[in-house]
Amino acid sequence: MKSLRKFKNPIPKLNKPVALDCTIILAVIGGLIGVSITGGYTQFVIGLVAITTVLCVGLNVLYGLTGLVSLGQVGFFAIGAYASVILTLAGLNFWLSLVAATLIAAIAGCVLAISAVRMAGPFLAMVTIAFAFIVEHGAIEWRSLTGGQNGLMGFPMPQIGSYVFAERDLVMLCVIVGGIGLLAFRRLAVSGWGMAMTSMRDAEIAASSLGYNAFAVKASGFAIAAAVAGLAGALYAPLMMFIAPSNFPISQSILYLFAVILGGAGTVLGPFVGASVSVLLPELLSDFAEYRLLIFGALLIVVLLIAPRGLVGMAERFIPIAKRGVKAIPPAEIEAGLKAYPKSDGLTVDNVSISFGGVKAVNSVSFAAKPGQVTSIIGPNGAGKTTLLNIISGFYKPTEGAVRIGDQDIAGRPTDFAARSGIARTYQATRLFENMSVIDNVIAGLPVGRFGAPFSVIASDKNRSHAAGLLAFCGYLGDIDARAGDLPHVDRRLVEIARSLATKPGVLLLDEPAAGLMHADKVSLAKLLRQLADAGITVVLVEHDMEMVMGISDHILAVDAGTPIIFGSPQAVQNDPQVIAAYLGDGEMTARPRPIPFEVGASPVIETLRLTAGYGAAPVLQSVDLKVQQGEMVALLGANGAGKSTFLTALAGLLRPVKGSIVLNNEYIHTLAPHQIVEQGLILVPEGRQVFPELTVRENIELGAYKQPKPVSKDELEAILKRFPRLRDRINSLAGHLSGGEQQMMAIARGLVAKPKALLLDEPSLGLAPAMTEELYAILGELRDEGVTILLVDQMATMALSVADYAYVLEQGQVVAQGKASELRRDERLIAAYLGGAEQTTKEPKKVAQ
Amino acid sequence: MTLLIAALITGIGLGSMYGLVALGFQITYSVSSKVNFAQGSMVMLGAVLGFVFCEQYGFPVILGYPLAILCCGVAGILVEFFLVRPFAIRNSEAWLMATVAGGILLDNVVLFTFGNEPRTLPSNLVSESWNVFGTGVYPQQILIPIAAIGVALALNALFRHTRQGRALLAVVQNLQAAKLMGINTTVMVTGSFAISSMLAGCAGLLIAPLFSVHSDMGTLFGLKAFAVAILGGMTSAYAVMLAGFIYGLVEAGVTTYLGSSYTFIVVFALVIAVLTIKPSGLFGRAAIKKV
Amino acid sequence: MPISSHIPKLTRRAALLGAAAALMFSAVLPAHNARAEDTVKLGLVAALSGQSAKSGEAITRGIMLAIDKINADGGVLGKPIELVSRDDEANPGKGLVAARELAQREGVAAIIGGLDTPVSFAIVPFVNQQKIPFIGPWAAGTGITKNGADENYVFRVSAVDEYVDEAITEYLIANYGAKKPGMILINNPWGESNEKGLLKALDKRGMEHAGIEKFESNDVDVVPQLTRLKENGADSLFVVANVAPTAQVIKSLDRMGWDVPISSHWGPAGGRFTELAGKSGEKVHFIQTYLFTDAADPMFVKLQEKFPEIKTLADVTPATGIANAYDATLLTAAAIEKAGSTDGAAIRQAMYEISGIKGMIKTYDTPFTPDDQDALGPEDYTFAHFVDGQIIPIK
Repeated sequence: MKSLRKFKNPIPKLNKPVALDCTIILAVIGGLIGVSITGGYTQFVIGLVAITTVLCVGLNVLYGLTGLVSLGQVGFFAIGAYASVILTLAGLNFWLSLVAATLIAAIAGCVLAISAVRMAGPFLAMVTIAFAFIVEHGAIEWRSLTGGQNGLMGFPMPQIGSYVFAERDLVMLCVIVGGIGLLAFRRLAVSGWGMAMTSMRDAEIAASSLGYNAFAVKASGFAIAAAVAGLAGALYAPLMMFIAPSNFPISQSILYLFAVILGGAGTVLGPFVGASVSVLLPELLSDFAEYRLLIFGALLIVVLLIAPRGLVGMAERFIPIAKRGVKAIPPAEIEAGLKAYPKSDGLTVDNVSISFGGVKAVNSVSFAAKPGQVTSIIGPNGAGKTTLLNIISGFYKPTEGAVRIGDQDIAGRPTDFAARSGIARTYQATRLFENMSVIDNVIAGLPVGRFGAPFSVIASDKNRSHAAGLLAFCGYLGDIDARAGDLPHVDRRLVEIARSLATKPGVLLLDEPAAGLMHADKVSLAKLLRQLADAGITVVLVEHDMEMVMGISDHILAVDAGTPIIFGSPQAVQNDPQVIAAYLGDGEMTARPRPIPFEVGASPVIETLRLTAGYGAAPVLQSVDLKVQQGEMVALLGANGAGKSTFLTALAGLLRPVKGSIVLNNEYIHTLAPHQIVEQGLILVPEGRQVFPELTVRENIELGAYKQPKPVSKDELEAILKRFPRLRDRINSLAGHLSGGEQQMMAIARGLVAKPKALLLDEPSLGLAPAMTEELYAILGELRDEGVTILLVDQMATMALSVADYAYVLEQGQVVAQGKASELRRDERLIAAYLGGAEQTTKEPKKVAQ
Repeated sequence: MTLLIAALITGIGLGSMYGLVALGFQITYSVSSKVNFAQGSMVMLGAVLGFVFCEQYGFPVILGYPLAILCCGVAGILVEFFLVRPFAIRNSEAWLMATVAGGILLDNVVLFTFGNEPRTLPSNLVSESWNVFGTGVYPQQILIPIAAIGVALALNALFRHTRQGRALLAVVQNLQAAKLMGINTTVMVTGSFAISSMLAGCAGLLIAPLFSVHSDMGTLFGLKAFAVAILGGMTSAYAVMLAGFIYGLVEAGVTTYLGSSYTFIVVFALVIAVLTIKPSGLFGRAAIKKV
Repeated sequence: MPISSHIPKLTRRAALLGAAAALMFSAVLPAHNARAEDTVKLGLVAALSGQSAKSGEAITRGIMLAIDKINADGGVLGKPIELVSRDDEANPGKGLVAARELAQREGVAAIIGGLDTPVSFAIVPFVNQQKIPFIGPWAAGTGITKNGADENYVFRVSAVDEYVDEAITEYLIANYGAKKPGMILINNPWGESNEKGLLKALDKRGMEHAGIEKFESNDVDVVPQLTRLKENGADSLFVVANVAPTAQVIKSLDRMGWDVPISSHWGPAGGRFTELAGKSGEKVHFIQTYLFTDAADPMFVKLQEKFPEIKTLADVTPATGIANAYDATLLTAAAIEKAGSTDGAAIRQAMYEISGIKGMIKTYDTPFTPDDQDALGPEDYTFAHFVDGQIIPIK
C-alpha cells in the first residue's frame, strides 16, 4: 500500500481497467488455443463455460450491479434458444436469428420487469421462478412451435457466406462472445449505467433523490440480463444440436445464480470464474454418477461458507488497490461554478396538506423560499417538518396543495422527477451509498439521473476533479477513496451535501444537518450554507439548533402539530407570542425534586470505564466513564446525536462489540447479549416506547416478566395499575391502539415488572403532551423515592435535572461536564454552552402523540 | 357437477396442505426475514420418516408420526444453524442458495438411505372411499383440511397462551423490544425454523397416504407452498391459510376443466398477475415508505 | 465492488487466474490419451437418480451380469470389458452431454442406454453423426430406432411402443370384448408415442375411443380425467405411465369405485407397484419381455450372488430391465468381437451379421437387419400382473 501511494499518477499502462482488459483478452486467447489444440468433448465443455459466462455476465448486471435476485434467468435463456432455433428452422439466417433472439428475450425481460421492479426479496424470487416455470411448461405444451418434450433438433449450423461452422468454430465464437461480454461489463460497470444501478442497489431512496428513475434503472437491469441470457441461449442451441424443455429446468437458474455468487457478484471476472467452476465441477464429479448431486450440494454449501464474497472477491483481498490521482478544482472555481449554472425561480409551497390514517401530519402549510436566501422550518419534534420535506422532494403525494418550482407544480410527482427539476436534499440519517468510495458518491450526483453513454467511464478525470472540488468546497478533508460506509458522522454530512450539490440544484433541502456536530463544525456548516445561498441556491433548512437557525435564516416558518404558526423574519418569529407558547410550553413545567438529598452509597450499581462504541468505523462514544449509585437517579444530557441513546443501547447489550468495560453490580457485562443483561437485572425502556402492537397491554406487561421465575401475579398487576391508573381501562386493548402517553406508561410498567436492579429510560417524554409529561415525571419521582436506581436520558434537560440527583453532559460522544443535578441546573451558562440548541428544545414537548 | 365436487374436494385438501407448508415459510419469515428453501424436502422427510418408523420399524402410528415430526423439527434446527445463521451474521443473502443446497443434499441423502423406489404409507383412511354427491372421497381427504386447520389453530393457541409462544410473537412484532424483555432472539429464530419444518413434516404425513413416498416428492409441494406464502403476503397466518385454499381450488379447477398440463402455466401466470397488481400479496400489507 | 477504484492490478490477478484456469481445464482434457488401452469400454447413459432410478439400477445389474459372463469367457478382442456409467437424471440435455462425454472423452466403443424415450430421442442424432453404436435396453418410443437416418447406429433390445400398443389393444378386445376403450396417458413423449400407436391400432380395427386424457407424474389425483372418460362411456382403459403415476391412476379408480378392465404398457413393472396402488393394482395387466418365475432360475441365482441385497423375486423388479440390458450387452459384445475392432462403423456392420447368441429372453438369430433394428418383436411379449408383490405371467 505504502509504495503505491507514492504514485499519484500511475503510468497508464499499469492502470487497473487496462489490467482487467488484458486478463480478459488473455483468457479469451487461452480459450481459443484450448479449443484449437483439443477437440471433441473438451472443446464442447469450453463452449459450455463460455456460454455460461455470457449468461452470468447478464445476471451479474442484474444481481451484482442492480442488486435484484432473479431465479428466472433460465426462462430468458430458453426464450433465446427457442427463438433462434425456430427462426433458423423457418429459414432465417443464423446471425439474424441471433439478433432477433436477443431482442425477443430483452422484450420479455422488460415485460417481466413491469411486475418485478416493484418487488423485493422473496416476492421477487417468486415472480421470477413463476416466469421460468411458465416458459418451461409453455415450451412443453406449445407443441406446434416448440416440438413439445421431444424438443427441436436438426437445425443448421451458423455459416458465413458458404463456409459452414464446425463445432470448433462455434465454440470459438462462444469464447469470443464471452470475452466481449466481460469487456462490455467492465465498461458498463464504470459507466453512468453502472453508477445508476449500483446507487439504486445501495440506497434506492438516495438514488431517486439524485434523479435516477427506479423503474428505468431496474428495468434496464432486467432487460440487459434478459437480452444477454437470450444471446447465450441462441449460441447454446447449435452447440447442443438439440433443445428441449428439460434443458431449461428451474434448477438451472439456481445454478447460474450460484455461479455469480461463487465467482463474486459485481466483480468483472466473477461470472467467468463462477461459470468455470459450475460447469467444470459436475465434470469432475461425473465419475461419481449417481452420487454427483449429493457431492454437489455439499460442495455448494462449503463454498458459500468459506468464500462469502466469491472467489474473485476473496482473491482481491490479496491484491493491493491502486490509487488514482485527482486534481481537485479549487474552491473559488467551484463557487463560481455554483453561481454560474441556471437555477429555478425559488420554491413555493402552496396550501399543502397530508394525512396518514386520518391524522393530519401537515395541515395547509404555505411558504415561499427565494433564491439566495436561507429559509428555515422549525418546530418541536413530530411537528411535521420532515414530512413537509418529503412532500417537496416527491416521496409523499400531498392530499391537497401545490409545490411549485418556478411556475411548474411538481406536487405528487415522483422523487426522481423532483430531483431533475432541481430539488436536492439531505437526510436526517444520512443516506450515502455505503459500498462506494466517497468520490464516487459525489460523482453519482453529477449526471442528475441520466445514464449517459453505456460504455463511457463516468469517473472521468473531469468528473473526478469536479467531485473532489465539491468535496473540498464542502469542507471534507478526508480520503476521497475511502469507503463511504466507514466515514465518521461529520464527514457523512459533508459528503451528502457535496453529493446533493453535484446535481446542480436550484433548491437544496437540508434535514437537521447540524445534529450531532460539534460547535466548531456547526459554525463552518452555517458558513457553508450561507455561501450556498449567496451563490443563488434556494436553501431550505430544517434544524433544531436555534443559534444556527437564527443566525443564518432570512425567513423562518414555525410549525406545530403540522399547522403553520408564522412565516417571517427571525426577529418576528422569535418575538411571536404564539411561537413562544408553542415552543417553550405554556408556563413552567416542573418535576418534584427529592425531598431529602441523596446520600451516595458504598458501591455503584452501574459503572462504565472508558466505554467506546459505535456503528461501523467511526466511534459514537469515546471513552465514557459514568457511575450510577444504588438508589440514585442520574440524568444523561446532551444535544441530538451526542450519543446518549447509543450509550444506553450499549449498556443494554443491543450494541456489540464495545471497547472498555461495563460493570453491573461488580460484574462485567460488556460481552453479554441483551437477554443475558436482562437476566442480570439491567432493564432498558427504549426510546419510542417499542411496544408489541398486536399484543394486549396485559400481555405486553406480562412479557416484561419473561425472565422472572414466576409470571406476573394478580397483586403485582394491581400494584402496577395503581401506579399507572390510565392503563386500568386499557388493560385488554391492543398496545398498538394506545396513545403515546399510555404506551410510555405501559413501557415503563413493562420494565418495572422485571424487578430491575437498574432502570434505564430513553427519552420517556418524547412526543408527549405537557400534562402527560408532568404526570410521567411525577411517577419517575415516586420511583426514585422508592429507591429504584434510574439512569434517565431526556431532551428536556431542565425537567430531567429537577428530578435527578446527579447528571452527566455528553457532547460528541464524550463526557464534557458532570455534577450534582441541582448545581448543573443553576448553571445556565453551562447548559447553554454544552447543550447548544438543547437549551431551547428542552421545553418543546407540545406535540400531542398520535 | 360430479367434476365440480371432485375438484372442490381435491382443491380444499391440497390447498390446506399447501397452506400448512406455507405457514412454515411465513413463520420463519416473520421472525427472521429468512425462509427455508429446503421446506419441500422437509415435507418429504416427514413422509419418509413416517414410513421408516411405522412401516419398517413397526412403531404404532401414535408414536411413529410424532417422532417423525419431531425429527423434522431437529432437521429445521440444523438448517437454521448451519445454512442460515452463518450467512445471517454476515448480512449475506447466500442463505437462499445454502438452503436450496441443503434441500438437494437432503433429497439425495434420503435417496441413498431410503432407496430409490417410491413407497406407500398405508392408512386406514384410504382403504375405502365414501360416496359424496356422486364422487368418491377418501376419509383422508376430509381429514387433511380438518387436521391442517386444527394444527394451524393449535399453533395459534400455543403462540397466544404459552410463555415461549408469546415470546415468539414478541420477536415478530418488535425484535429490539423482544431483546430488551430478555428474550433470547437467536433461540427464537432457531425455534421458528423448527416449527416451520415440523409443519412441513406434518403436511408430508398427511398427504403421503394419497400419494407415494419418495425422495423427490417434496420439491413441487415446497415450491407451490412458497407461492402460497407469497400470495398470502407473508405477514398473517390467516392470510396464508386462506391463500392456500384459494391456490388449491384454482389449481384443482384448472386441472379439472383445462387439463393438468396447463395447471402450472395458468396458476403461475395468475401468481404473477396478482403480484403485479398487489406487490405485497393478496392480503399483504403494503409497507409505508419510510424516508 | 463494481467501481473502478476497487479493481486491482494486473499481474498477480492474471497469474492467479491462469493457474486456476489451467488447473480446472486439465480436469476435462481427454482422459483417453491412447486408444490402446487394456480394456474395451462400454458406456451407459441412464437415469440413476430420481423416480426412474430403480429401472436404471435394473439395467446396470443386467449389464454387470453380462460383463461378468463375457469377461469370464475371455472378454472381447482379448480384453476385458469395462462399464462407464453416467446419470442422465431423466433429462434429455444431460443425457446428450453424457453421451458426448462417453464418446469423446472416455472413448467408449458403444453406448447402452436411454431409459426415458426423450433422452433417447436426444441422443439419436448425435450417435448417428458420430458413428457410435447406441443400443437401447429400455426406452420404447417407436421413432428411436426408426429414426430415418441413412446410416442408422441405433439398435434396441426392448419393446417398441407401436407393437406394444397393438398387443395391448388386441388383449383388451380378446379378453374383455372392449368396444370403446379410454386412454389415460402420462403427459410426456412416451405418452405421446403411445397415443399415436394406440390410435393406429384402433383405426386399424375401425374402433372408436372414449377420449385421450393426459396427466402429470406428480399429480396426486387423477379423478377428474378418469371421471371424464367414465362419462364418455369407456368400457376399458389403456394406461401408459411409470410405476408411481400408474399407481395414482389405480388409487383414483378405487376412490371412484370404478371397476374397469385395464391393460397397460410395462410401466407398472418397475418397483413395488402393488404396494403403491394397493390390492387393485393386481387388476392391471401389462406387457413384459422377461419374467423370473422361479427363485431357482439360474440367472436369478447368479444375480443373488453378484448382488447380495437381492433377497426375493420381489427385489428384482423390473426383470425386463435386467434381461433387456443383459441381452443387449451380449449382442454388443458379440458384434465387437465379430467386427474385430472398436470402430463404430465396423461394429454396426457386425450387428447385422451376428447370429445364434443365447440371451435371457431368447436365442437371437440375426436379431438386426438394416430394415429392422429391433431385436424383439410382438412375439416376444408376454402379459403379466402382480400377485402378492410378484410379477406373474398370465395364461
